[in-house]
Amino acid sequence: MGQRALWSAVLVLGLALSAGCGSAGVSSSPGGAADKLVVWDWKSGDPAAKAYVDKAKADFAKGHPGVEVEFVAQPFDQYYTLLGAAIQAGKGPDVILFNGGGQLRDRADSLVPLDDYVAADRQRLAGWDAFAEDGKTYASPVTLQGHPLYYNKALYEQAGLDPEAPAATWDEFVRDCGVITDKTGAKCFAVGNKEGIGIQFFLSAMGSAVLTPDEYDRWIAGKRDWTSPAVKRIFELWRQVDASGLNNDGVNSTAMFNDAFAVFQSAKAAHVVGLMSDVGHWKDFAEFLDPADVGVMAAPVVDPAAKPSLPYDGGIGYGVAKWTRDPKLAADLVRSLTSTEALQAFYADAGAIAADTTIDVSAAGPAVTAISKGLATGKPALHVALPSKTVDLMGRLSQQLLSGSVTVDEAVAQLAASDAAS
Amino acid sequence: MSPGAPPSPVRPAPATPSQGQARDTAPRRRPRRRRGSRTERLAPFVLLAPAVLIIVVLRLWPLVLGVNFSFTGDGDRNGTPVGLDNYVTLFADPLFRTALRNVGLLVLLLPVAVAIPGLLATFIYLRTPGHRVYRAVYFFPAVLSPVIVGAIFNLLLAHDGPVNEVLGAVGLGSVDWLGDPDVAIFAVAGVHVWATFGMALVVFLAGFANLDPSLLDAARVDGASLAQSIRHVIVPGLTRTIQFVFVTTMIGMLTSMFGLLFVMTSGGPEGSTYLPEYYIWVQQGQFNQPALASAASTALFLIMLLVGLAQIGVLRRAGREV
Repeated sequence: MGQRALWSAVLVLGLALSAGCGSAGVSSSPGGAADKLVVWDWKSGDPAAKAYVDKAKADFAKGHPGVEVEFVAQPFDQYYTLLGAAIQAGKGPDVILFNGGGQLRDRADSLVPLDDYVAADRQRLAGWDAFAEDGKTYASPVTLQGHPLYYNKALYEQAGLDPEAPAATWDEFVRDCGVITDKTGAKCFAVGNKEGIGIQFFLSAMGSAVLTPDEYDRWIAGKRDWTSPAVKRIFELWRQVDASGLNNDGVNSTAMFNDAFAVFQSAKAAHVVGLMSDVGHWKDFAEFLDPADVGVMAAPVVDPAAKPSLPYDGGIGYGVAKWTRDPKLAADLVRSLTSTEALQAFYADAGAIAADTTIDVSAAGPAVTAISKGLATGKPALHVALPSKTVDLMGRLSQQLLSGSVTVDEAVAQLAASDAAS
Repeated sequence: MSPGAPPSPVRPAPATPSQGQARDTAPRRRPRRRRGSRTERLAPFVLLAPAVLIIVVLRLWPLVLGVNFSFTGDGDRNGTPVGLDNYVTLFADPLFRTALRNVGLLVLLLPVAVAIPGLLATFIYLRTPGHRVYRAVYFFPAVLSPVIVGAIFNLLLAHDGPVNEVLGAVGLGSVDWLGDPDVAIFAVAGVHVWATFGMALVVFLAGFANLDPSLLDAARVDGASLAQSIRHVIVPGLTRTIQFVFVTTMIGMLTSMFGLLFVMTSGGPEGSTYLPEYYIWVQQGQFNQPALASAASTALFLIMLLVGLAQIGVLRRAGREV
């Protein structure tokens, strides 16, 4: 009996100890090896991005034949959570895909400034601002993301309006919308604000039609005057548009992704503020509507002093982690990932407006042509310039504005406080 | 440790000293207990060690680390101790307060969430016509993932969805189930109950299996109505089951609604459907504030502990009274 107990004890203890050793002894950080680079993203698993990844890998292999590159595709909804854990641990991927704006800026202190490494790409690529913090660049743009105002030309035609000459001022626009609703039953705007995204799109799409160019630039530069009448006007407009029945019903319970886009695609609304890349954009719409019917118009002018421009920023881009062994090597991989050939493949297969302005897009239909024309005079989007906490708060306040439980003045005051605190 | 060596030296070892002790020093003090040698006395500890180690290393230690982490800062103050700052931030955040209010609301809804499976199980036990079918049908949603359930109800409860169409056809106005801040949390909680009550139903049916049918027969003979049978026979007989279902349902409501919230409302509208769990996820994943998220986790843990203990206390007293 005693012997048996002892034996079991020895066995169990041995197992427990060896199990402990196993988990404690192995410490393989993904970015550990000198001849291997690990890339984290949420794109490379997508078949549409295969050509892009292959081209980028080939380009990198030309300059660095001995270095292995591993792409780890993470699920997007968990991406920043996983990345947060990696940052907390101080080890993880060498090259990291980021969304431009707040998601990158919040984590800039974990990244290597790339200015010296990517200087040669400055002219060729657009959208750098979304990846800069305090004058330093932390990632190279792959795609451009923006918020064109799409419209359904077929509905315009049915309503007897000229689809090639959409309204240039807000009053005309509202009048046209009335005609469209009367003649076709379609609403003016397809909006989804369940996630609080509707206001982001609205703010950025309409901002340049309300703010003067000077005020717009100051907003982007971080000198935001939340009490100015023009800023209030945008939020007032957001409330009014819904109150006067221009939106589809149930905006606060409609998801922008992808219920609101579905409303537009099924011709139940004539306009939608969409995206330029990835989803909810020209390529998606063209699958349901005739590509020739998908138009892009400038935001209708609300204040005559405003000059509408296309709001866009760097969409996604690759940065280099601070803990990587050889930042130069990792930066070279970033350059390969943003090479013209790779981006050409990304634009063609994945349906994105690539950051490379030298790519020819004329074959993709009128919407893309209009978008690429707007790039030259375009400006960064208003909501992308905001701290992510303020954007989150704006989402909730925008829902309250629609339900009437907060006034524009209160909402703007709360936003000002949040913006100042961040 | 080589397998060949121990047997011969170990076996005599336990016998000799204990025999000697028994004979020389304490002959009358229960010698059998002393007979177990050091190895035998150590054996229980060694045998317990794996279980204890797993609990300590994989459960308690991370818990301590998490609590400790909640007293450090985020961002620029990463790693530096900040005292109670995170907790101050937490309780000053209207969103977290909404999340706590919703916890309170769910606790209040708990009796309903327990009564529904309890009543349905009673009907099945009393062999209502079709009870076999109902048993299968009721359990069915429990096997669906919250994401699928959420997606189904997103369609059903959409503003232009079938539920509102039915309401419209009957002449009642449509309700913005997931867009109205006063309604959304009830809609989500309702869907959660729908999706999970099957499990509680099975537990109740198991409890009924232990109920003495002669008591019910006796009540029937005495002319008790259905309500009286439930009140005086079934409920007292199922106290332990009810207690169990209460606690597991509460834990389910407070910790397993993430999937539904994520799919159905994303915490909205107006932040009205935030629960601590969702708040933790947002702070960690969206705003990159793991320390604040840790503080929220600690708060959630304490709330669960308090509510759970209080519940057990209340139910135990109720059980005794019955």
